Amino acid sequence: MPNNSRRTFLKTAALGGSAAVLTPSLTLSPSRARASAVTADGKPPMRFIFMHKGNGVFPSVMVPPTLSQQDQEKERTKAPFEVSWDHHDLPEWMSQLDAHKDKLTILQGLSGKMCTNGHHSWQSCMGVYAATERLSSIKWATVDFELAKMFPSPLEHIELACFPAGGGNARGNINGIEKGFSARGPQQPNYAFGSPKVAIDELFKSVANHEQGRIRYELERKVLEFATNNQSRLSQDLVGLELAKVRNYAEAMEAIRARNKKLESMGDAISRNVPKLDAKYFADDLTTVDRQVAHTEILLAALIAGMTNVVTFTVDELGTNYTGLPGIEKENVNQHDVGHDKPVAQLSAGQVRETILRGHMGLIDTIVRRLESIPEGDGTMFDNTMLCYFPDNGETHHSHGIEWPFVILSGRNAKLDIAGRYIRLPFWGKEGHQTLGNWYTTILNAYGNPIKHYGDLDLGLNSLLASQTGPIDRFLMS
Amino acid sequence: MGASRENIREHAAHLAAPPSVTPICTRLTAVVVGWVAVSLASNRAAAEVVVSPDVKAVLSSRCVECHGADAQEGDVRFDTLPELGKDATVALLNRAQEQLYFGLMPPKDADPTTPEEHAVLSSWVREGLTKANAPLIEDKLRYPDYGNAVNHDKLFSGEITDKASTPARRWLVSPQIFHERVLDVFKIEGRERDGLRHQGFYGVTNPFVLPEHSGVRDYAINALDGGHLLVMLTNAEWISQKQIRVARVKNGELAADAFENPKDKWYPKVTPAAFEAIILKPSEPTDDEIVAAIQAQFDCVLRRPADEAELLKYRALTRSAIEVGGNTEGLRQMLIAVLLESEFLYRLEFGEGPPDEHGRKKLSPREASYAISYALGDRGPDPLLVKAASDGRLTTKADYDREVRRLLADETYYRGPVDKTINHSDAVSHPRIIRFFREFFGYSNAHKVFKESTRIGFYANPGRGSSGTPGHLIREADRMVQWILDNDTDIFETLLTSDQFFVYHNIDNAKGRETIARWQELYDALKDTEWKTDPEKVMADHPEILERYQIAPLSPRQGGHANTLPRVMKHLDHTLGRGNTPFTTFPWAHGNQYRYSQIYGLPKTPGIDGRYGENDDLDYPVEQPFSLPGHKGILTHPAWLIAHSSNFFTDPIRRGRWVQEKLLAGRVPDVPITVDAKVPDDPHKTFRERVESVTGVEHEACWKCHQHMNPLGYAFELYDDFGRPRTEEALENPENLITKGNGKDKLDTYKTRPVNATGYLRGTGDDRLDGPVENAIDMIDRLAQSERVRQSIIRHAFRFFMGRNETLSDSATLIDADQAYLASGGSFQAVIVSLLTSDSFLYRQ
Repeated sequence: MPNNSRRTFLKTAALGGSAAVLTPSLTLSPSRARASAVTADGKPPMRFIFMHKGNGVFPSVMVPPTLSQQDQEKERTKAPFEVSWDHHDLPEWMSQLDAHKDKLTILQGLSGKMCTNGHHSWQSCMGVYAATERLSSIKWATVDFELAKMFPSPLEHIELACFPAGGGNARGNINGIEKGFSARGPQQPNYAFGSPKVAIDELFKSVANHEQGRIRYELERKVLEFATNNQSRLSQDLVGLELAKVRNYAEAMEAIRARNKKLESMGDAISRNVPKLDAKYFADDLTTVDRQVAHTEILLAALIAGMTNVVTFTVDELGTNYTGLPGIEKENVNQHDVGHDKPVAQLSAGQVRETILRGHMGLIDTIVRRLESIPEGDGTMFDNTMLCYFPDNGETHHSHGIEWPFVILSGRNAKLDIAGRYIRLPFWGKEGHQTLGNWYTTILNAYGNPIKHYGDLDLGLNSLLASQTGPIDRFLMS
Repeated sequence: MGASRENIREHAAHLAAPPSVTPICTRLTAVVVGWVAVSLASNRAAAEVVVSPDVKAVLSSRCVECHGADAQEGDVRFDTLPELGKDATVALLNRAQEQLYFGLMPPKDADPTTPEEHAVLSSWVREGLTKANAPLIEDKLRYPDYGNAVNHDKLFSGEITDKASTPARRWLVSPQIFHERVLDVFKIEGRERDGLRHQGFYGVTNPFVLPEHSGVRDYAINALDGGHLLVMLTNAEWISQKQIRVARVKNGELAADAFENPKDKWYPKVTPAAFEAIILKPSEPTDDEIVAAIQAQFDCVLRRPADEAELLKYRALTRSAIEVGGNTEGLRQMLIAVLLESEFLYRLEFGEGPPDEHGRKKLSPREASYAISYALGDRGPDPLLVKAASDGRLTTKADYDREVRRLLADETYYRGPVDKTINHSDAVSHPRIIRFFREFFGYSNAHKVFKESTRIGFYANPGRGSSGTPGHLIREADRMVQWILDNDTDIFETLLTSDQFFVYHNIDNAKGRETIARWQELYDALKDTEWKTDPEKVMADHPEILERYQIAPLSPRQGGHANTLPRVMKHLDHTLGRGNTPFTTFPWAHGNQYRYSQIYGLPKTPGIDGRYGENDDLDYPVEQPFSLPGHKGILTHPAWLIAHSSNFFTDPIRRGRWVQEKLLAGRVPDVPITVDAKVPDDPHKTFRERVESVTGVEHEACWKCHQHMNPLGYAFELYDDFGRPRTEEALENPENLITKGNGKDKLDTYKTRPVNATGYLRGTGDDRLDGPVENAIDMIDRLAQSERVRQSIIRHAFRFFMGRNETLSDSATLIDADQAYLASGGSFQAVIVSLLTSDSFLYRQ
């Protein structure tokens, strides 16, 4: 466990390391880019980025290559231990994140057997319940929406997705706005943007610089204004419960209009942050890798402009066919086949997996560096950011949810004491074992939601553990 | 370890915490010191609870002895009121108000307050809550939890002469009605409607969710909110695009084979003519054309014409939108705007005409037509009902009576699945009527209770594409209810006591008999051949038999679902050959999930996973329903028992509470917030003993409430948490493990202890029935004879059809319904007719 002085050192180091590294597609002046964003206490809000992927993540690939023999044995037997990155290297495929080691955590040993496992998991990995294709299986708001409530923003929450086109969870239109992998509440799936083009059109429509976009925004504005006035008039003669039945609806419309006005008032900041992507990113048939890059730019733009504080990004799902992977650019990679160890062109299935993971690390590196380049308060935006990268279904292609590896990058104002370490928690069924529910409870508790336990319990653990509810106490800062 | 298991329901408590009302468990008395005022700081304005000398005097003399510095019974104290924050103060006042309202405080063993003292306290509490903008008891009485707040005896005494009516109101549509309304928007009928009714629309998300508790769920108390709006914005976008697709294709805006989403190719085959006229017009539409389009959309969405004021508004919107976006997009904005009308999402019941001498207005004929239709089904009125309304033949009770009886006899108009979220849910003529009994009994919640399936091996939790074992059980309970409803005699008594159950029964009795007869023929023809040792020879010798009985050829390429000769004969030999009737579907049939016969206390189903053993002697009852030993009515149905169980254990408290509230018209306060409701672990005790150890009679504060639940719920210990009849309880604790299983065909075995299913029935109001009960069967027999139970079910039926709790002024309506039930020999249809022709149904105020 790092001591106070080490954390202080890390904080200092983070402050000093905010060199701006911008991609050619989005050139911002850091000093001008931010919209003002503060919470009631005058501090910047916390931002959360959830990036999840399909086809599982093998726990074995997450292990530092520099472990001592003793720790290797612990890792082999899944015994709990942790080591600091001060003395260890990241796995080679994560080398793009070397510069962020002091902010980085690899968290191993969580389980999620209460989720739907196997190939697909729908809202399971974000909601910690067994979600399926049936909307009735959505039990409550996913953790990202709970966090969005705690750190309100004009758009509340944005979800972007490289939708699956095949498999058991396919979307008919990977370029549309389709049901996503997060949920607003019971039986309420969230909707995610599949296409960068549509996402930009929708999210940045208040500052659209083309006629079609302006017209669409104007029409939407008209209808909303009409509907709001209509319902407000209807409520004029009502009282009590009957008044609430109409007024709430009218007020909800008014709230959207107010949100739109707020966005309009943020027009300068939003305009400055509209992702300036090359034309290829606006095509319907862009490669999966390009789609990920474009979504990453949108994600960053929305956060930097202050439009939202929570973004969830389905970087891929099992049914997402990969195109544009480095070295096999011409291939259309079926991840299900890869899950069954089928090689693709000259690459083995393992190498394909690694190529995919490397790409994701590149995206994370972009996010961290970009946010570090944006001044905020006495530091940078990344100081107030937490990013979680994890599989949507657990430890492998046909997951059982017995392990659920996480990569976490957290800024210096994050309220969890986890940074800079490889942490392996006790294995499933062992005393001290922790589940996805415990992990999300920890995050929610850390930022002020006092929930006793978030998520369903793993019924199989009940005879093995004294308790499986509550946060992971040692991660909480005192 | 058990403590954590009980926490599984804690999850939602913080995410959407409902207002909690809890009892003050003990008497109010003692010394009040230093009270001046309590500031209730709210967001809008600070409010104060002022303790006047009068109030202080009553509190001092009546309350603080038990709720003060020296004693805090029920963890309630008044002496620290000035130090409490707003939330705690409101919580305390809420508890006090409820105790006062229901006459629970002071307790029976204390000196009662005088009416004057009661009034002083009541008005003080009310004033404090009002200032804090907190809900008052009158607000709460509208909610389902307070359905039994009205005194039962008074309600059925016949003393009440008030004229009944229902408040003029908007009633949020149910999820099913919403879906039907979307079908109406597209004017879809016939087989296409049946198909879409089941599969839904790709781009429409139902914005409505009913609560999952046992009991009537759809009350006219809910309001539209931002969540509904967000969903409706998306829905309206999709619906409006589909409405005009055909005209856009005709106009060349869209290729006929162009679909943005290849998985979403459905569209209505016609765009309303008024919309098409605008889309195809090369110039801006005239006012008349716009008005025609508005009227068309009102007809599609709201099923009524727009009035002059509405036309004026909508015409201006459409004109201005067309100016900005052109004809097609401009028109579409109008379509969206109508779809966003709150009226689309509400049932409107305001009444019309001059009020009668009691200030009541009758429903307008149009309102009545919808009220009747939505009472009986999910659709709006059928053409005959529409005509009756428009012809002025829907104004009198006789009119209502005629139409209600006609629609109850109509086998087709409302026909649909009972619950399309359950796999293969049966389609019935009036699914809504079954839904009443589903809600009343709450057995459909079985699929919300996840079980550790390795405990019994054959239980499948709901998962992808399947509602699992509970889905089957719920469907079988539905069938039992429908079968009883079809008979329409002594409905309540039969539901409670019938031993006629449905198990598996995936084909009707005639087909079942035919199947078994054919299998018997096959078995008789080949049983003495060499089918075991030389099946190829048998197949070669009897080609005609193989063809007649569709026996698959022997081939290594045959999959696991083929009816090969060895497989079929082995199965028939193990069943027919041992004098048992096999289930009418072979166990290896694709998708066959019928493997849970033991849950009904029947022998194991043979052939599951290709295994045959000594204990799989299910003698399948082809003729169903059949008499199931050890069971009596819905309350012993596994679906009900699972729905009222926890993940690992029976739930005698919840089961007892159900009986208390649903059958005995009683009330049990919520768990006090100060109680951490956990059942302690003890490897040596049964679950009942563990529950008793923390809520039993020696725990006075707990027993005060638990005496109304536990003795009723203990009777159901006759069944385990999967609903299986039992005499011994396995003490499922690692300490008691005897043999370790594999979670499939070999299960863990544990030490056991005898089950104690004795209980005590109190609350029927009938000395002949109240008293100790041997077990659930004994208790159910008594409950079925109770007048109070019959009336309690009628009270719930009232709530279901009226969408609200009954009040004393509904007394005549309830008595009439009860009498109608008795006079008709126990017909539920008679109850429905009585309720839907009552003043409570006809009048609004």
